[in-house]
This record gives sequence, C-alpha cells and structure tokens, in this order.
Amino acid sequence: MMELPDLVAGGLAAGTLSALALGGGLLRLRRQQTRQRAEIAALRTQLEGSVRAFTAEVEHLADRRVPAAARQVAHPHVAEPGPLQPLTTGTPLGIALENVVLALQSEVAAQRTRVDAAAQAGMRGATREIQAALYRLQDALRGLQQRYDDPELAQTLFRLDHENEQSLRRAQVTAVVCGAWVGLAREESHLVDAVTGGQARLAGYHRVQVHNHLETGTALVSHAVEPVAIIVAELLDNALRHSAPDTDVVVSLEHVHHGVCVTIDDAGLGMTRDERDRAQRLVAGDDLILLTDLGDPPRMGLAAIGRLTRQFDLGVDVSSASPYGGVRAVLRVDSHLLSRLDPADRPPAASAPRTTRKAAADRPAPSHAYGTESGVPEAAPGHHEPSDTDGLPQRRRRSPAAAPEESPAPRPAHSPAPSPARRPEEAAAALGALQSGTAAARAAAENAGADGHGDTPADRTGETDHTHHTDHTDIEGEAAR
Amino acid sequence: MTRRPAGRPLVPAYLSTGGVARPSRPHLERLSVLARTEEPPPLGLPAAELALLDTLAGGSLAVVEAAALLRLPVSAVRVLAADLVDRDLVLARAPIPPAERFDPDLLKRVADGLRALKHHA
Repeated sequence: MMELPDLVAGGLAAGTLSALALGGGLLRLRRQQTRQRAEIAALRTQLEGSVRAFTAEVEHLADRRVPAAARQVAHPHVAEPGPLQPLTTGTPLGIALENVVLALQSEVAAQRTRVDAAAQAGMRGATREIQAALYRLQDALRGLQQRYDDPELAQTLFRLDHENEQSLRRAQVTAVVCGAWVGLAREESHLVDAVTGGQARLAGYHRVQVHNHLETGTALVSHAVEPVAIIVAELLDNALRHSAPDTDVVVSLEHVHHGVCVTIDDAGLGMTRDERDRAQRLVAGDDLILLTDLGDPPRMGLAAIGRLTRQFDLGVDVSSASPYGGVRAVLRVDSHLLSRLDPADRPPAASAPRTTRKAAADRPAPSHAYGTESGVPEAAPGHHEPSDTDGLPQRRRRSPAAAPEESPAPRPAHSPAPSPARRPEEAAAALGALQSGTAAARAAAENAGADGHGDTPADRTGETDHTHHTDHTDIEGEAAR
Repeated sequence: MTRRPAGRPLVPAYLSTGGVARPSRPHLERLSVLARTEEPPPLGLPAAELALLDTLAGGSLAVVEAAALLRLPVSAVRVLAADLVDRDLVLARAPIPPAERFDPDLLKRVADGLRALKHHA
C-alpha cells in the first residue's frame, strides 16, 4: 500500500512543476508581449516618420520641383532640385516621383509648342496683310515719284519710301519667322541688285560699302532673289547695330569654288563665345523656332535667316571674327541658285555698284542719243573706266537669222551658266532645224517606200543624216541649257 | 531697247542719290539736254552717277530720257546730273524753247503733200 504522504508529495511536486512551467510560460508570454508592443510602437513611429517624410517629399515636389521642372522646359539653365531625401533616389518612391516630373515636362513642352504655333499662325495672318498693304503703299509712292519732280515733294517721297521699306522689312521678317512665305515673287535678278536692294531696306544704308567682284551678269534664280535680299538686309542690320555709327560696314561679293559668297564685315565689338554659338545655332535653322525664345522685344533677324537658309538651301556663317574687329558674316549662295543674265538685255540697277572685273570683251558703246554735240566726241577719250565695265544699257545687234541647216551656234565661252531666256533667233533656228529635219526624214521614208532603190540614195541619206545630226545636237544643246 | 523687268524694282530710287532729292543747281528741267564733257570720271564716283555718264557716252540726252534709260525718277536724275555738272563731267543746256519747234500743222501739211506725190507716181 502506498503511503499517503508520498502521494501528496508526488502530487505536490507535479503541481509545483506544472505551476513552474506555467509560470515560466506566462512569464515568457508576457515578455514576448512587451517586446511585441515595443516593436509595434517602434513600427508606428517609423510609419509616422515615413508618412511625414513622404508628405514632405510630395510637398517639396509640388512647391519646388514641379515649378522648376516646368521652367526648365523653357530655360534649360534652370536647375531642377532633386528629392528632399537623397536616399529615396532609386527606390520605387524615388522613381515614381521622377516619373511625375518627366511626364509633367513632356506635357508642358507639348503645350508650349502648341501655344506657340497658334501665336505664330495669328502673327502670320496679320503680318501677311500688313505686308500686302505696304506693297500697295510702295506702288503708290513710286507712282508719285515718277509723276512729280518738285524737289521738296520728291524729298518727302524719298523719305516716305525709305520709311515704308523699313516697315516692310519688319513685317516681312516677322512673317518669315512665323513660317510664312517671303510674300513676293521676283523674277531672275542680278545678285548685286538683291544685295543693294537689301541694303536699301535699312536705316543706316549710308554706312554700307558694297564691293562687287562678280562677273557681270551673275544673277539669282527667281525664287532665291527675295530670300537673299532678306538675309543680306538682316545680316547688315546686325552689323550696323553692333558697330559704332561712324564706322562703315563692308560688303564684298566674290566667286568661290561652288557659287558666290557675300561677306559682311563690321568694325564693332564682336560677339562673346556664347553669343556667337547662339547666333550660329539660329542661322543654321536646325532648331525649332519658338516666339517665346526670341526675347522681348523679339529678335527676329537671325531666326528669319535660319528659316530661309533651311528652306532655300543657302549657307550662312557668323562664327568667325572680322579682321576689322567685329563680326564677319558670310552668306554662301551655291551654284544651283545662280544663273546668268545678259547685262545688255537686263542691266543691273543704276545704283548697284559696278563690278571691279574687266569685261571679257569690249562691246560697242551704246547709242541712245540723237546725235553727238559738236563739242563732244562720240567716244570720249580718257573715258575708260565705265566703258570697260559691262553694266551698260545696250542695244543688242541682231545678226541675220541663222540658216536652219547650220549646226547651232556655239555658246560663247564666257557664259558657263547660259541665260535661260532664249533669244528669238535661237528659238527660230531650233524650231526650223526640227521642222526641216522631220520633213527631210519623211521625204526619205516616203521615197524609200515608193521605190526600193532610190535615184540618188547616197545623196539623200547623206542629207537626212546631216539634218538629223543637226537636230539631235540642237536638242541636246537645249536640254543642257 | 532693253527689256524692262516686270514686277517691282529691287533697288529703290532713293538709294541712287543717297536719299537726296534737292539738286545742287535748280535750273535743270525735264527737257534740259545733258552732254558728256571730256573730263575723265574721278575714282569713287557713286555708281548711279557712273551709270548716268554711261548713258551719255553715245551722245547727249534730255534729263527725262536719261531717267527712262536708268529706270529712275526724274527727280533723282536731276540730283545726279547737277552733281556731275558741278564736277565738270557733264554739260547741261536749257531745253529747246517751244517757239523754235516746228509747227505741227506745217509738218502735217508737208506729210500730206508727200503722200499725194507718192499716189501720183
């Protein structure tokens, strides 16, 4: 039989043990609970901190980064401040915020282009009308100049014409910057006329010295005339504005390997490197032109040059310094925009400077006059300079029409780019050759059909060949023209 | 005759005289006759004055004719001519007075007479 105390002792021991175990478990549990509570508290403070940091980051985005990013679209030199906490870069939050900035920038840029395009369209419409009105005014003023020669009135008319030219230039340049056509169709003209015409559009045209070293008759194809006049006017305007009023601006026109160069030198201060880079970028015409980029008041000149160089395949360089200390601007006109005018048929304007080159051959002096005065000999001795130059209005001597059988007259050696206006004699000779060639060939074919062996086949074929040959070369000649 | 370019001229008239329209001598008229002297033109003469000298190279011309040849208004040519007269490069003569001109009626009658003779022959 078992002893009771043993039992009690055993029970007690078991109870104590279990109590101990329970107590230990309870204690552990409690400790764990406090740990977890502390952890939760830590997490909560951490969360609060994160929320606070996130809010601060978003506030920073709204207050600083978004305005700066928007401004950066227009002004690339504005720095965009990064995130408040540099640690967020690279984290999903940082990347998301970065994407907000990027999306905003692309939308702002698109809006800016749209708004600018609308503004340009509005300006284009307005300036086109102003330009047309100023051309009508110019016509009226020139009509008055022809009709009235009272000196006082003529003086006023000259002044008004000059003022009108300047307004016209501004309206035209604005229209061109806004993407409009130059607004005036001209016919083929002497290059020196285009340069002198551009010079006349400026307030300080007295200060411009044009040196013409071109061959006489060097002309521009019709669609290049007005662009060249505009570009020269704008380059001259820049040169005049950035040099002292008592200095001259020197323009020289020269042949280069693949065309003609118009070089404009001023004796001003020149440009800083930044200005020069900016000007070169503008005249190259590669960037999109926005009115908002042109400043206030907008500087249209270089932007207009950029538009025109791009459209008409002209080259402008403003990156070099002038030997006179200022800027050297060079306009290059490639040979595909050049043509040739017969100075006898279409002389350059009276005010256009003479070429310094000697003419290839001296032409006979023109005679528009009724007769010479007794005191004045027909050709004044010692009067060499003007008769050497070729820019005279001259009558063209008509040679008797060439017989159609003759091979086409060889082009004169001094005209590599022949005049596109065909002379009536040439046209007649070409048509005659064509007609007689066709007729001869028909006759030969008919005869050959009528009898198998012609009476004088050698003669006929010889003649036909000859005519055909003439015809062929003539057509080739025309095509080359 | 040289072909007149269509369309508006590229170079405005005021450029020929540098914007001056008041001639240095007032007596030049539309029909004053200009003639070249034997004086050689000096260097640095304005282009328009050289052009005017060239038109006179073949003989004398009235102011208005020179203006038509140079495609300039008469007012501009008067300024150019006055300057050339001042430089002794050009002589200017007063226009032929109307009294010395032939009577148009007389000319017409002579022409009629000639035509009648031709018919007879």
